[in-house]
Amino acid sequence: MVLKIFFPQCCNKADSGLLVGHWLPGQDSAVVLAVIHYPFIPGQVKQYIHQIRGQSGVDLAVLGSWSMPKEGQEGMESFLRELRTIFPQGRWLQLSREMGKIGFTCNVLPRDQNGKLVEQEKELEKVENDLEGKSGKDGRGWKNEEAGGEGKTKEEKTGEEGDKVIFVHYEQRKVMLSQLHPTDPPVPLTQSTSELRQVFGTVSQSESLFFLDKYDDSPVKLTHWQSEGREGSIIVELMKQASTPVCLLTAWILVLWTSLCNSRILNVFPLRFISSKLCSCVQLSYRTEHLQTVSSPTRATSHTDYMRKANIFMSFLLDVTLGLLLIYWLYRENRVGQLANALLPAADRVAKELEELLQWLMGAPAGLKMNRALDQVLGRFFLYHIHLWISYIHLMSPFIEMILWYVGLSACLGLTFALSLLSDIIALLTFHIYCFYVYGARLYCLKVYGLTSLWRLFRGRKWNVLRQRVDSCSYDMDQLFIGTLLFTILLFLLPTTALYYLVFTLLRMVVVMVQGVLQLTVDFINSFPLFALGLRVFRSYTLAEGVKFSVLCEEPGTPLHLMMDINPLKFSSVVQTYRTATYSCYPKDSWLALCKKLFLGELIYPWRHKTTKID
Amino acid sequence: MDMLLLMGADSGLGTGPGPAVPWRKVLWERQPFPDNYVDHRFLEELRRNEGLRQYRYWAVVREAGLVAQQISCVALFLTLWLYMEQGLLSPSTLLWSGLLCALLGYGFYQALGPQGDSDSQQRTRWSDLQSASIFLSFTFGFSPVLRTLTESVSTDTVYAMTALMLLAHLVSFPYAQPSPPGSLSLNAALFASVCLASRLPGDHRASRGLNSSSPSSLHTFTMLCWALLVFALWPCLRQRLRECAPQGFGCVCLLMGLSGVGGLGSIWPGGAVLLAAVLGAVTLLCPLLLIRLQSDKDNIHGPWDEAEIREDLARFLR
Repeated sequence: MVLKIFFPQCCNKADSGLLVGHWLPGQDSAVVLAVIHYPFIPGQVKQYIHQIRGQSGVDLAVLGSWSMPKEGQEGMESFLRELRTIFPQGRWLQLSREMGKIGFTCNVLPRDQNGKLVEQEKELEKVENDLEGKSGKDGRGWKNEEAGGEGKTKEEKTGEEGDKVIFVHYEQRKVMLSQLHPTDPPVPLTQSTSELRQVFGTVSQSESLFFLDKYDDSPVKLTHWQSEGREGSIIVELMKQASTPVCLLTAWILVLWTSLCNSRILNVFPLRFISSKLCSCVQLSYRTEHLQTVSSPTRATSHTDYMRKANIFMSFLLDVTLGLLLIYWLYRENRVGQLANALLPAADRVAKELEELLQWLMGAPAGLKMNRALDQVLGRFFLYHIHLWISYIHLMSPFIEMILWYVGLSACLGLTFALSLLSDIIALLTFHIYCFYVYGARLYCLKVYGLTSLWRLFRGRKWNVLRQRVDSCSYDMDQLFIGTLLFTILLFLLPTTALYYLVFTLLRMVVVMVQGVLQLTVDFINSFPLFALGLRVFRSYTLAEGVKFSVLCEEPGTPLHLMMDINPLKFSSVVQTYRTATYSCYPKDSWLALCKKLFLGELIYPWRHKTTKID
Repeated sequence: MDMLLLMGADSGLGTGPGPAVPWRKVLWERQPFPDNYVDHRFLEELRRNEGLRQYRYWAVVREAGLVAQQISCVALFLTLWLYMEQGLLSPSTLLWSGLLCALLGYGFYQALGPQGDSDSQQRTRWSDLQSASIFLSFTFGFSPVLRTLTESVSTDTVYAMTALMLLAHLVSFPYAQPSPPGSLSLNAALFASVCLASRLPGDHRASRGLNSSSPSSLHTFTMLCWALLVFALWPCLRQRLRECAPQGFGCVCLLMGLSGVGGLGSIWPGGAVLLAAVLGAVTLLCPLLLIRLQSDKDNIHGPWDEAEIREDLARFLR
């Protein structure tokens, strides 16, 4: 049975006293949290521990005694040994350390020994827990350093029976602030969670223990990580104080805004439908939700909530910064005017290209044989549409510059908003392509449907709706006759419609690709976890994936002290874990389903917007 | 058989030739023979050419006459098309003659048909009239569309498609029961006629000055009406004739063949010779071949065949 004792580094040089900590249930381990110094009154100590236990929810207890005797304190050891009777325990740890020596001495005294306390010789096991290659060198380095400097006593290896004890040193502040991944929902530290998680959980939940210090004027004097100097920053404190009224104000404004949006006037059917299709409205509503999350006055309870709030806030800041940069660039040299002036000729050019394309289709495109009559009909129909469109654009031309000016201003709400507006403008400008695509697709779909049905008639079969299969059927003469005529007509008109359909589908795909790229950019800005990455870079110990152990001293016959270092999370896992859930546009169908839909002429909306769900 | 006996005896379990226990054709009992042993009764259940039918020449010739008749129908149709294409017949003449033939045929059909009560006959006539009006109106309505359908397809493709479709029609024709015409055969024939109809030369009066060769609507309409007559209505009349007046049927067969050859010969003598050869081959040569080859048949049947359920299970459905 190996007994693991997690010992904080800050207590290495603490004065003699009592060890306060927590026995991990189900494991053979103990976590030492602080050392209470002499002089103390045992009753007050018990009361204090009871109070802290209630506040933090961690089952604190006195683990044992710690003695580092200085000059003039020789009688401490025996005194500390007698304390065992005052604090009844399962096991009592007696740790001692001598100045100038490496290593601790540890005696574990079991409870069920009546009479004289039997000291069992302990051994510190040479446990090979090296996960990194360099920790072997580290161990040796440590050993060489410490030979001259402050030493730790080496424990002689005597006896083979009895418990073996391993000391695992940890940095208390880092472990307290760190979060082990994958983060599970907070559960009480039961026997089922892993040992490492229990250690991290114990330390992080015992924050209320670390308020009192040995320099405070209180009945109990503790040594823990705060003893090395309490840290605080005035800016952080000021911001914390200022954040509450700001949050309240933002929340109030948002309530007004959402009530306006949900008012009955704006909820009329066409407006609602249009606003659900326009990207900018979707993006606005999305940002509103985000701001509502960020500005809620309640504190974030769990780590994930906190990270999410922080990420949203940072992405919002980034967004607004980029938007302001864009505004600065746009308005500096009257680029808006230039843009407006370039827009009209661009639309004209697109229309002209389309007209030429249609003229080409009405001839003999690519040497294919088209049915002349149908060709002419379809071509003239589409040409008329383009003519209408161009007239509409020319009608709007005086107002374009003003509209663009105001639209450019809206980029102060964020770069994502400006990009979604751009995507919407593109959609509006290419509306005629969308119309053509729908016409062509519907015509083609009808034709394919008719052809398949009539082909079955040609062979004398029918689709059985009840059995969902093709059955034989005896048709009447007139049905056969008319069916064959229609089949012939549809078959010979197929190349014409198919070509028109193909051309317009390709055009539509181009537009959809452009819009898709814009949407992807917007999505990227929305969901990128900037705060988490910043944490990973600057304070890598806060996001822990695991731990690695390095050997502190390794000598035959002496105990191994292990140093527990935190393994930070990989960058890719950071991004994956902390991505904000967005309405990311992802392809609705697989490639095969998409091809099948294209072939049959069904209308395609290849990007689908996922609705956001706050989890 | 002796070799088998020797083999069986040699590979027996050393009991010597001719063991006392006779061999039984069962596998669930341990016998002193190896599993693949058979005695002299090997293949005694083999039967050869069971259920072979003996054909008689003239009966087969009579049945083959149906195929020949259909071929000559097709040839007749092609003749009409050729006449219209070369402008020897005007479409209006053909149209009126077609209508006349239809009325005559209908009259014959009703005369030969079973005499039911006048009420059902009235209803049948009324539904016949309805069908006829639907045909005519649809065909007339679609003619302008149909005539420009294959404008951009090359002539060779059109001819190839027509030939393929007519072949499909001949192959899938229900010779045994032509009265409700089979879907595939009728549709193939109509498809072929549409293809041909779109290749007729235009009405010269209307298309003077244009160099297009698009046919006028009347050509298409006529073609389709005749296609309907020849491929859809004539088999019904033929079947009725066969049922009710078998002697007349034989005459009609002969008449059809002669008119097919003659019609083709008036415009394309080579084709007539070819048609005559084909008809002769189908009617006279193929039955001969069938009977000759019948004697070379060598089918073996035995207990290894798949079981056929010969019982009439309809008695369980009552």
